[in-house]
Amino acid sequence: MQTYHDITHDGGSDIIGQVNDLANRTRSRLEGVDHVIAVMSGKGGVGKSSLTVNLAAALAEAGPVGIIDGDINGPSVGRMAGVRGRPLQRGALSILPALASGPSVIKVMSMDLFLEGETSPVLWDAPTQRDGYAWRGLMEAGALREFISDTEWGKLNYLLVDLPPGSDKLPNLADVLPAISGAIVVTLPSAVSLAVVGRSIQMAKEILDTPILGLVENMSGYVCPECGHLDELFPTGEVERLASEVEVPILGSVPFDPLISTCADQGRFYVREYPDRPAAASIRAIADKMITLL
Amino acid sequence: MKFLCMECDEAMSLESTDGPERGSMSVVFGCPSCGRKIAMLTNAMETQVVRSLGVKIGGRTVPSEPMEMVRGSLVNRRRNISDTLGPVETSPQNVELEESKCPFTGMVNDAFDNKASIQWSDAARRRMERIPDFARQMVMKGVEDAAREQGLHEVTESVLDDVRGRLGM
Repeated sequence: MQTYHDITHDGGSDIIGQVNDLANRTRSRLEGVDHVIAVMSGKGGVGKSSLTVNLAAALAEAGPVGIIDGDINGPSVGRMAGVRGRPLQRGALSILPALASGPSVIKVMSMDLFLEGETSPVLWDAPTQRDGYAWRGLMEAGALREFISDTEWGKLNYLLVDLPPGSDKLPNLADVLPAISGAIVVTLPSAVSLAVVGRSIQMAKEILDTPILGLVENMSGYVCPECGHLDELFPTGEVERLASEVEVPILGSVPFDPLISTCADQGRFYVREYPDRPAAASIRAIADKMITLL
Repeated sequence: MKFLCMECDEAMSLESTDGPERGSMSVVFGCPSCGRKIAMLTNAMETQVVRSLGVKIGGRTVPSEPMEMVRGSLVNRRRNISDTLGPVETSPQNVELEESKCPFTGMVNDAFDNKASIQWSDAARRRMERIPDFARQMVMKGVEDAAREQGLHEVTESVLDDVRGRLGM
């Protein structure tokens, strides 16, 4: 009796052909993109999205940059980049990304742009919502694939993909987008964050070929808004210990500044609004290191 | 997934598809040698898994629309999105082919185009505005589905009164 592997076709659907077509579409869509960078962290609440939009603003000073909000269920990049509510427009077999206001080109695609209200949950139409654990993850992966392959990205120096928390997110991205140039890992200097982030790095290193460009220590200290004095928020030295353990470089440390959050809430780019603040200087230095590494 | 006719030891070919009917697809395969037919019947979860993969059982006859899955499957999408982007649909000449070979296009179109075909009276729409943003789209979808089941093309206040008990409005 023939086995599965003896039979060369699937009866008429050509599922493998369809999957290859999807992969080819992704590849051709990104032909004008020089570098795809994943911004990841195993831990939530480390300031990954606000760092992503500000890195994008810093990188965009040298040329066009795109941001994909990979957090399908909890999109926030649309608001942070000031494009939430912008009307979407259709291109040739594609959707045009939202263009952030300002002197440089920052293109954004996020679930934020598709949702009715800012507090609308992401609900997928389905014959039944029961047993959704079996397909919701697939829908999220499918949405991420469409954001990559169906957005008219055009020419970009960098496409940043802001991934949601979870050690499985980078492998998921690699499944739909094999050509990732590198990943940046964001962490807080707390022991809990470092442990979770360390796990994510090890997973990425063990099962993927994606190079880890380095660690970014976010909220590394507190800058007094009055006198500019930098105080510690967490014990020092822990990030260096992790970096040494997992053998990845530290790209930089970004001190906590309440103005980062204020700007994010108002859809403005902190590095543009407050270029002289210590955190803005740190973010620019990280962007410069990324350019050098790539 | 492949199907084998054990008597002929030959791979079966897809012959027809039907549905989705209450979330279930019927996909018929036949043996090219002896003509024996079998039907694969999917449950709702299996149907949704195939849909979420972005592939179509029976193969594609027309290229996919941009953001087809997101636009076709997101319940709480922005109301004006079809105005700016156009509906997710197939050209009329391909509808018959799509219906016979491509069941999941039907689901996508159900989720997108048919909603646009239900009109709302001003009074009914005003009543919907009392519902919080996050729940409004879900409620409207439920009302439109109920109207469709009754063969109606417009939601009026009397339609709302009719379905409010069922939806707890």
